[in-house]
Formats: sequence, C-alpha cells, structure tokens
Amino acid sequence: MAEPSSSAAGWRSQSAWAGVAVSGHLGADGGAGVTVCCLRDVGMATLIAPKRREAALIAAVEARYGMRLPEDPRTVENGGVRAVWAGPDQWLLVTADVSGVETLREVIADLGAVSDQTGSRAVLRVSGRAIRAALAKGCMIDLHDGSFPVGAAALSSIAHIGVHLWRLADGPDGAVFEIAAPRSIAGSFWSWFAASAAEFGCAVVVES
Amino acid sequence: MRIDCPHCGSRDVQEFIYLRDAGPRRPDGMAATLAEMHVYLHERDNPAGRHRELWYHGSGCRAWLVVTRDTRTHAVFAVEALPASVESAST
Repeated sequence: MAEPSSSAAGWRSQSAWAGVAVSGHLGADGGAGVTVCCLRDVGMATLIAPKRREAALIAAVEARYGMRLPEDPRTVENGGVRAVWAGPDQWLLVTADVSGVETLREVIADLGAVSDQTGSRAVLRVSGRAIRAALAKGCMIDLHDGSFPVGAAALSSIAHIGVHLWRLADGPDGAVFEIAAPRSIAGSFWSWFAASAAEFGCAVVVES
Repeated sequence: MRIDCPHCGSRDVQEFIYLRDAGPRRPDGMAATLAEMHVYLHERDNPAGRHRELWYHGSGCRAWLVVTRDTRTHAVFAVEALPASVESAST
C-alpha cells in the first residue's frame, strides 16, 4: 500500500484555543474592561545552560540575537525573538514561528540544551483597564508597576495550572501581559480566565 | 506561610514542596553498612524550633532551596539556593 503524501493525509495544524475560545464579547455588556488575544503558531523552545557554563551560552545568544539572556526574572526581546527567564540558567525562547527554533538550534550547537516546545503551550495576550483585577482572582503574583514592571517575568500557578507569564511594553489600555499555560489543559485555564474576566466585559480575539 | 525564593521573590507556600531535613547526606549505597543506612533513613531529629530543610520550588523556578524555619511558628529565618556541591551529592 502506498504511503499517503502529507497533503493527501489532510493534516492541518490548529490553534491551541480552537474549540476552547470563541472570538467576540464575553460577560458583562458595555465596554470591555479586559481584552484577550488567543495567540497561535508561536515558536517556542526551552534553553538550558550546563551547570557553571552559562557564560558561553549567554555570549553566543548575545552575538546572534543582540540581546543578553536575563539572569533574573525578566524578559528581553530583539528582532522578533523574545527570551524569558525560566529559572536559574534556563530560558524560554519565543519566536513568531517554528523556523526561529531551528535557527536557535544552530546558534546553540553544543553550548546548551535546546528543546522545541512549539505547540506545547497555549498563550494568551491580555490587557485592558481591569486586567489586573481579573488576573488577581487567581494569580498570586503582585502585577502592579512597583513589583512587576514592563519586562518582568514569573513562573507561578494560576487555578492550580503552572503558568509562565511576562509583561510586554504598555499598550493604549496600559499594561499588557502574556500568559503561557500547558496546551493540554488550555480548556481548564480558559474556564478560569473567562469566569474571572466576565464581570468586566471581555473582548476576545482568537487568532485563526 | 511565605518563602522568599532567592530566584523568584516572595511566594506562597503552596508553590513549594517540602522534602526533608537539609542535614543528612545519603551514604554510598554500595559501600554503606545496613546500620549506616538505617541511621540515614530513620534516625532523624524532630526539633521543636529552628530547622534547616530542603524545599523544592515546583510551581516556580524548579530550584531546590534550603529554608531555615521555626517548626512551631513557621517563621522563616533564611532561604538559600542549594549550593552546587550539595546538589550533586544529594541526588
């Protein structure tokens, strides 16, 4: 029997939020106190430095990407590639698509461990005047400017789900956060988020 | 109870998992006598008061920490990152 070609097999990738979130307005009528964009096709890889040999890895990334991997809970971005601190000597690299992960493998070679995580996490980009009040219903991190400025990052849990969150540059409605949760429990995470944001009115955009 | 993680900052205790007394070192299993292994496994102090303990920041940075805590009041006196020498010896 002939092997079916990939096109004939009919496989299509789909968003981690497909069948979970629906574009539109959610919760209270009126203006949207919370805005959420359900991202798709985000390239991701974890990067781990060998013990006591992180300097070479940091130098290689800096030479190629023009940014210094943060050694405290922060995120940096340059030219469409974002590095998020993910524990001591560990980072999450976030790129616009999976090709960025392949480049990363070449740059790192044997200086560290690169593990492709593309598709493994579901990512929300959230903002709005009431975003902190909505997140405070489950997030144990203080997200106010004084303790979580632009560029801050954290690993924590929300609604018993391990999350990685970081703060982007401010947008027209103030603070903007990205929250990555395991894709396999994106539905549970969305239940929490939708319930928490509903009272403020929430504009939902699901990238397709 | 909150633990001031040296990597992440102050976090609620629910993000952490307690392992054990930070003092005892596991003997080499191939070399230790039964008596030595018995001492390591079972003969632990159970102080009412200050205690150095291993905690794992599982919901955060996934690092091992040494927490000095009062077992009566849960007051935390010190939190240190696990020294690399201990990390390799205690696995």
